[in-house]
Amino acid sequence: MLSRCACGFGSIALMGMFGSLASCSGRRKGLEAALANVGGGIMLPGHIPKAKHIIFLYMDGGVSQVDSFDPKPRLALENGEDPASKFKVDATQFNNVGKILQSPWSFQRYGESGLEVSELFPHIGSCADDITVIRSMVSNFPEHTNANYFLHTGSGLQGRPSMGAWVNYGLGSENANLPGYVVLDGGLIPPGGLDNFKNGFLPAGFQASILRSGPVPVANIRPIDSIAGIQDDKLAYLARQDASLLQSVVGAGDEIESAIRNYELAYRMQSSIPELTEFKAESEATKKLYGLDSTDPHTRNYGAQCLMARRLVERGVRFIELTCPQTNGTDRWDQHGNLKAGHEANAHAVDKPIAGLLKDLKLRGLLEDTLVVWTGEFGRTPFAQGTDGRDHNPSAFSMWMAGGGVRGGMVYGRTDEYGYRVEENPVTVHDLHATMLHLLGIDHKQLTFHFGGRDFRLTDVHGNVVHDILA
Amino acid sequence: MQGLTRKTSWFTCLVILSIAIFSACGDEEAAIPDQVDFNYHIRPILVQKCYLCHGPDSGSRKAGLRLDTYEGATALTKEGLRAIDPGHADKSLLLFRINHKDPEMVMPTPESNLTLTDRERKLLERWIEQGAGWKPHWAFIPPKSSDLKNDKDHPVDQFIEARLKEAGLKPGTLADQTALIRRVAMVLTGLPPTPAELERYLNDKGDGSYERMVDRYLSSPRFGERWARHWMDVIRYAETRGHEFDYTISGAWRYRDYLIRAFNQDLPYDRFVTEQIAGDQLPAPRLDPTGTWNETQLATLFHTLPEGTHSPVDIRKDEADRIDNMIDVTGKAFQALTISCARCHDHKFDPVSAREYYALYGVMEGTRFTPVPAAEPAHRRSAAVQRQVLDSMRALTLVWLSAKMGASATASFASAPMITPMMPDSASGILADFSGSDLQGWRSDGQAFTDGTTLGDPLTDSLGNLRGLKEGVASSRRLGLNLFGALRSPDFVIDRDFIGVMAAGQRSSVRIIIDNFQLIQFPIYGDLDQKLNSDQPVKLIFPVSAWKGHKAYVEVLPGSYDRHVYKQARDAWVEVKYAIRYDRDWFEPRRPSTSVTLPAAYRVFTAGQAGPTDIRLLRGLLPRTLRLPELSALQARAQAIQSARMDSLQFISGVTEGFGKNSPVFHRGNHTDPSPERVKRHFIPAIPVSKIDLDVPGSGRLALARAITDPKNPLTARIMVNRIWHHLFGRGLVETVDNFGMQGKVPSHPELLDQLAIDFMRDGWSVKRMIRHIMTSETFRRSVEPVAGAVQKDPGNILLASYPLRRMEAEAIRDAMLSVSGSIDTTMFGPPVPQHITSFMNGRGRPGKSGPIDGNGRRSIYLEVRRNFLDPFMMAFDRPMPASAFGRRTVTNVPAQSLILLNDPFVALMADRTAARLLAEAEKSTEARIRWIWQRCFSRLPTRREISDATEFMETLKKTYARSGQTVSEQVIWKDYLHTVFNLKSFIFIS
Repeated sequence: MLSRCACGFGSIALMGMFGSLASCSGRRKGLEAALANVGGGIMLPGHIPKAKHIIFLYMDGGVSQVDSFDPKPRLALENGEDPASKFKVDATQFNNVGKILQSPWSFQRYGESGLEVSELFPHIGSCADDITVIRSMVSNFPEHTNANYFLHTGSGLQGRPSMGAWVNYGLGSENANLPGYVVLDGGLIPPGGLDNFKNGFLPAGFQASILRSGPVPVANIRPIDSIAGIQDDKLAYLARQDASLLQSVVGAGDEIESAIRNYELAYRMQSSIPELTEFKAESEATKKLYGLDSTDPHTRNYGAQCLMARRLVERGVRFIELTCPQTNGTDRWDQHGNLKAGHEANAHAVDKPIAGLLKDLKLRGLLEDTLVVWTGEFGRTPFAQGTDGRDHNPSAFSMWMAGGGVRGGMVYGRTDEYGYRVEENPVTVHDLHATMLHLLGIDHKQLTFHFGGRDFRLTDVHGNVVHDILA
Repeated sequence: MQGLTRKTSWFTCLVILSIAIFSACGDEEAAIPDQVDFNYHIRPILVQKCYLCHGPDSGSRKAGLRLDTYEGATALTKEGLRAIDPGHADKSLLLFRINHKDPEMVMPTPESNLTLTDRERKLLERWIEQGAGWKPHWAFIPPKSSDLKNDKDHPVDQFIEARLKEAGLKPGTLADQTALIRRVAMVLTGLPPTPAELERYLNDKGDGSYERMVDRYLSSPRFGERWARHWMDVIRYAETRGHEFDYTISGAWRYRDYLIRAFNQDLPYDRFVTEQIAGDQLPAPRLDPTGTWNETQLATLFHTLPEGTHSPVDIRKDEADRIDNMIDVTGKAFQALTISCARCHDHKFDPVSAREYYALYGVMEGTRFTPVPAAEPAHRRSAAVQRQVLDSMRALTLVWLSAKMGASATASFASAPMITPMMPDSASGILADFSGSDLQGWRSDGQAFTDGTTLGDPLTDSLGNLRGLKEGVASSRRLGLNLFGALRSPDFVIDRDFIGVMAAGQRSSVRIIIDNFQLIQFPIYGDLDQKLNSDQPVKLIFPVSAWKGHKAYVEVLPGSYDRHVYKQARDAWVEVKYAIRYDRDWFEPRRPSTSVTLPAAYRVFTAGQAGPTDIRLLRGLLPRTLRLPELSALQARAQAIQSARMDSLQFISGVTEGFGKNSPVFHRGNHTDPSPERVKRHFIPAIPVSKIDLDVPGSGRLALARAITDPKNPLTARIMVNRIWHHLFGRGLVETVDNFGMQGKVPSHPELLDQLAIDFMRDGWSVKRMIRHIMTSETFRRSVEPVAGAVQKDPGNILLASYPLRRMEAEAIRDAMLSVSGSIDTTMFGPPVPQHITSFMNGRGRPGKSGPIDGNGRRSIYLEVRRNFLDPFMMAFDRPMPASAFGRRTVTNVPAQSLILLNDPFVALMADRTAARLLAEAEKSTEARIRWIWQRCFSRLPTRREISDATEFMETLKKTYARSGQTVSEQVIWKDYLHTVFNLKSFIFIS
């Protein structure tokens, strides 16, 4: 890292322009100030990476595992019975425990692997042989906000760096004109807010850039000047004046020098970022693949995000997270009531676009170095909340991964016969983070940042790579 | 850090034999000093390379070897040798192992990924040869005074220049006056000098003009507005609680105002520390100059600033996390120690064991949260008068009764049996029975509940006629309405299914506080907060079976919480008869009936110890209605006082005392795995102070504050002078301003730091005098131009041959634009200006309305700080997230900064307003206008070259507009020019 720094600004820019450390252009004061914080931090991959990018499909609110990827026939047999007579029921968020509730949806086997997927996700089902389902996820928190922070930062508390920030801190971006960590805002920022995507104690450049679809994807990205050319004039004047300031403090102007260079990068971003959201170059077939022709506006919305995610991958962005679209009358995947309508609306919005993304990535040869992760922050109870909802369940939930070095058509881990608790191969959020980092070529124990007297990690003092699912 | 190549020379220094500028992981090329110093050369190696396995944490210690104590390092091993054999490098196992070639034998082990450099090995060897001198960590040694070379030169310069001389460097020239005034104004007030200020300084030709200029800025109200913000970084200031819905922290802004006043008034720093930690316990409250605010109480809002979770399923974990944040910030802010590292295990590097963490945990756990009236002094004053009225009314009643009974009755019953009040009793399930006269050991905070029940108080009608004597209840309106108070039970462990409270009240509430949890609401905790709207006593039933085994207390409040903000109507009140806990059936506490005689009852009544039976007897003496003119006059007076005090009953979130509590140690930080024994509360023994015992009645916060501000404490003064130095130069003498522990940096100028710390304490802990002292040195006044040789010999400018150039903070950049454009509104204090919400800021708790884009022209410190909607401008320019202590901002350089300055509507608006002001105020010529701008933005006049550049630039702009067929007004061109000026590096840098 240091020798890279010493090579000058150009190579540093490759660490991610959003991730460039303070004044790295120089070898002196600014650099030292920046590095005072950097423990054993920034590094090249520790081993050969399988993935270069991560697309994190965040299923905000918590998808029900027994209705999606973890079929439980016993629920149908005991539908309507008292769960407390079957197993010990933990305290739940809403403390309104109803009867055992069978899944309103049937399951079907897909692909050569015969992976079981519920009828909520027929399109994702058609990609079964590319995905590895983990049925044995556990979280530490049964409330959204803590669980969101935990999933995103490895800590249930506010204020820690997000996984995307860690990845960029570790690897940097491959594109000097784009941020290395992008959140595509589908309309729903998860509980806990933008702090799910922040840099915490890492330098500010590692935080996510929130991109929306539309002509102004990110704040201040369009020149404010009324006509073209004015900004160029301004920048030319700026460059001259700043250069003469630099002349007057030769040897002590590193920070000024890098602030000047910063303008060059900002200038280029003004065109590189809006270009992302323009799909002119995409074929009709591609757009259709992502569901952009759907009659459901939420499918179109999410499809556009998925397509943008592919475009970001093509441009070298390291970590892309998609938040959920706001579907009518539902609160994310958080169906405390009205499970059937809510899950169906949410599934309809994301199923086709996600399958389209997987297929398109595969077609273009991008899937092998892109890890796609699909998960909520926890699962839901196999018994009802009230009569037709499900409460939060951190003791078991399902997620899946595809591409980037994971096997396909596989199920890992097992829950009990109700899908309530994990019985075999539990996978913690720390394990998930460790595995994601591993696939990127990073040893999660080595990716540290020194803050407030100790070395912090994304995985805190936990985490084991789930080797069994690796290709 | 290792591998960072620096060219530095090592040298001998004045007092300590030899000291490196940098920590020992520094320069490979530097010579090994003749005399190796343990603290500056050796300890950093041991800490960084050895302590993970051979440090203070017994849990991770390998081979039983510890290198953090002299005894451990020199103990005889089973091989019959010592790791370190003082004076005998050849016999020291440590050297044998670190020089070993075999990967099985070498230390540090290859798995650790740690390696020693040749230089480090040589340093260790020489140090052992020289006798392996061992010292406590530098920061734990009391500061020592140094002899100065002469009386003539500024002491700061003597220290700085001695070091420069050793490095073969000469101090640079002094900055010119215009640079100086801009620097001083920016550093002290965060605003560029106005033309009038500039002129005044330039026209002051007398001796001491610089000092006078510094004094003007030090006494400016703008000073506190900048320096308070520095402190707000340290104490993770925010006005909301974050988490899911971003609830408001009541009156946080009043604490911000407290800070501004404290810095402006130059509140002695030791007092400042004490007030924040334990202001509520200081015997005499300190009022603000207007007598409106109780500053000592406002200060304690410090403890209430952590984030808040509204529905944690594990409530004890939530408490443990909150307390951890309190310990973390308290430790870093005041002691620059990372105490919370010891939450799960003994500290890996510093002498803070897990036991000591939990010794402080008890202090925080024994602290309760409470609303406090913002205008608390007014409550206190009127309550005192109302109390006198009540006492007079009771006295009048007594006089009447004594006349009725006849003098003989009073004399003959000296030995009347005393009625003992019924004490709360675990077996019976009675938490309190307020039918007697005492409050049953419950804590009465504030004024409303006084120190006793209403038993025997005169009962009057609206005309002031005496209608009887009151029965006993704990009442918030004993002295009248419109007072705040809270009545809280001692802690108890929940062991029944229900808690019951028999109470009456209007717009009031009773809450069950479990594990100090405050954000009570549905879905989980809703039943723990019950509102009262009944004149007749009703049964409040709290189902608590889910929390058996948890600690809890009952809280009675005359108002109630609305979205976690405490509110109290002027006519709200609450009265409690009794509180119980039970499993199946509600029951009423019954007193054994005692037979008393009238004279006996009178006797105990006069002694203020009457029981319910006594009062019943005495009441029988009174006619149905008794008119006592004095009594009705007093009653009228009481009502007048009550309605005269028209403060708006607003509240801040503050703290009060609970009941002393020692905590168990949580094994590996796990609150479900507590140790059987509890740790007595005490201060960290490694820090030498007069009294480390904190195991006192109450929380022990005041004792903690005393230990921190003890003049013997070697850390406190050093830390604050270092923070001051950091803000004056952009870098502390100890670079890690929040960490003076072993993982922190060693001071670049240790004797200077010591001297400043001693001066600081001797000078009454005056922050302003310390600032002035440093600012009047030549070191502070040097030009930013580097001196010859500095780039090679001192590339980091640690030795300060020149003044360090640096970017201004977010707030100063924004405020400078406001100031230049004339948009600035210098109104001080008050509720924050709502956050400007852009379409990019979404999520739960998003405010319904956006604040104004220009923040109404208010200084940045007055803009709202919403945890979940942090200001993008502030964040882009590195204001830290409000999570932990952040005394040193990182300085990043990200495109978002350039994009804001280039394209953000706020910056464009400021440019436009400045242009309008310019055209209205300045003389008409282009040159005059450019001068007008430069004076305000750069505190100097432009050079001829700069004028021609600017003119030429504006011509170019006009042409560009013309090319696209646009005719634009003069103001647009000036606006474009000013917009560009705001983007100049000279505008956002302090030089």
